[in-house]
Amino acid sequence: MRYVKLKKEKIKEFLLALQDYGELYAPIKVSEKYFDFRKITNEQVDEVVLDYNRTLRPPRRFFFPEKEVLFTFNSKKVEMYENKEAFTSEPVVLFGVHACDIVGLRIMDSRFIDDQPDPYYRARREKGIIIGISCLPDEYCFCNVRRAEFVDSGFDLFLSEVEDGYVIRVGSVKGHKIIDATENLYVEVTKKDSDDLTAFDVKKSKMFTVSGNWDSLRYTLELNDEHPVIWMRESEKCLGCGNCTITCPTCRCYDVKDYPNLDGETGVRVRIWDSCQFREHGLVAGGHNFRPTKESRFKNRYMCKNAYCKEVTTAYCVGCGRCTYFCPAGINYKQNLIEIRGGI
Amino acid sequence: MTEELHRRYIPDGQDNLYDTHKCRVLRVYKQTEMDKVFLFRFIDQEVGKNWKFKPGQFVEVSLPGIGEVPISICSSAMRIGFFQLCIRKAGRVTTKIHELKPGDIVGIRGPYGNGFPMEKFFGRNLLLVAAGLGMAPLRSVFLYAIDNRWRFGDITIINSAKYENELLFARELEAMRDIAEAENIQIIQTVTREDSPNRLKGRASEHLDKVMIDPKNSTVALCGPPRMYKSMFEKLVEMNYDPRRIFVTLERRMKCGIGKCGHCNLGNSTSWKYACIDGPVFDYYDIISTPGMLE
Repeated sequence: MRYVKLKKEKIKEFLLALQDYGELYAPIKVSEKYFDFRKITNEQVDEVVLDYNRTLRPPRRFFFPEKEVLFTFNSKKVEMYENKEAFTSEPVVLFGVHACDIVGLRIMDSRFIDDQPDPYYRARREKGIIIGISCLPDEYCFCNVRRAEFVDSGFDLFLSEVEDGYVIRVGSVKGHKIIDATENLYVEVTKKDSDDLTAFDVKKSKMFTVSGNWDSLRYTLELNDEHPVIWMRESEKCLGCGNCTITCPTCRCYDVKDYPNLDGETGVRVRIWDSCQFREHGLVAGGHNFRPTKESRFKNRYMCKNAYCKEVTTAYCVGCGRCTYFCPAGINYKQNLIEIRGGI
Repeated sequence: MTEELHRRYIPDGQDNLYDTHKCRVLRVYKQTEMDKVFLFRFIDQEVGKNWKFKPGQFVEVSLPGIGEVPISICSSAMRIGFFQLCIRKAGRVTTKIHELKPGDIVGIRGPYGNGFPMEKFFGRNLLLVAAGLGMAPLRSVFLYAIDNRWRFGDITIINSAKYENELLFARELEAMRDIAEAENIQIIQTVTREDSPNRLKGRASEHLDKVMIDPKNSTVALCGPPRMYKSMFEKLVEMNYDPRRIFVTLERRMKCGIGKCGHCNLGNSTSWKYACIDGPVFDYYDIISTPGMLE
């Protein structure tokens, strides 16, 4: 692997240089409490926040947009025309992605780029550039027990904080090309930087409120399928708004809808994010619902996030803490899992 | 739990997975008040020539402007060039499909799903149990078995519905009676909620004792509402049918058909399935090891 060091004062120049590679998105403060990835113009480079806690919307939205036109159609001719936007659009340069979100993207890849790859997702993902950044956890984070606090692939560049700058790990050919083109920005990595990195990791690992790993959580969850208290108590609080699934970096359910235009002939077929917390998610023809109660839908999310994964990591949950942080009902996902685990 | 059953089916010849092929409605047959059978043919003959499916697979029927619905194919997989879909008027899209007339065009993509592992059925007796709309996918299996009659042992089909006028393909099965007798095919038709002069009364599971075939060397294919499966399983296992050879098909709200949209996602840590690519046909052990399948 190739390492270079970026001094703190050069970060602005670095961001400006990144704009040559596509549309630059980076985390900025969007409200008193929340951050979000937004498009960065030359004037906004100063607003980029490097030590944000978590973004409101997950990075998957750049490759799997919340609302995407798949086809335009002509209903009289019964013809559909592929929407080329995903294939012709500018590449997305996503700056400042945390390790857990990069793992989240890899989980998305495992579902969307499998033996029957989704053409729209793949087109966007293949040209996109991911630039990660190291972070320190807050009380909502539990990526360490999900083994998502560190990544060694899935990014083009990864910035790890050291005392007076960032050590950049190069993770792909695209990353090499960016470094080659902007070589004058960097300095050599020293022994001190290497030590700083280790110190940062030690500091980080001490900041987590949970430790060990939760690989066995899937079995604990299954054994507590009939937990006397937790499911009823927590799902009773749930508003069924679907915020947890919208902000989740690995949720990928979608619905397909046709929107006709007023001329009665043309229109668009779009896919929009769906949520398993909605009543319609398990509904089939004839009115039967496979998840009729709020409790069953609530439980389904816990199972899907913790027990269904076969690829990349041991769970589809990466421990980013978004579903707790953004829950309007104050349901504490992390605390509930700890409770199911017996308080550990 | 065989490799073949879980082999993921990949349709080829499509640039965009979500793109459809145009099909023309050739005939519309009214089955019951709510169900119609549509006969489709691909407009592009090249596509039609190469388009094959397995019994139990489904297609996504697309009406631009209205939406898409997953519908299982009900014609014989041996007869190439056209296919039939039995569609119940249940929702927005199917109501619109019911308005189609011969000559109208729809978009079709698929076939999707694993389908019944028919090669596993060869050389064995076959018991088919359908309840309500479940007759549609099982008709595909039934016709396939008739077209390959020499590959199968004795065949019994139980067709059940709530009311006499909801019994799907009843007249077709009736018309087969003479041939069926000559070919060792037993046809049982039953209605659960009314007394009908020429039908048996009661649920399909209540008529299992009338089935002529030998349970030992049999395969069973079930299709109906999830509630029926539970009672059938108990009965069938009790009657010494081999659990490994009991297959069911499931229904979910599949939006994509290729394991992306997440609506048919079910299971637990050891058995995690997408009904559209790992199913919709599952065997008995899949069903008992995967919670949520029958709920």
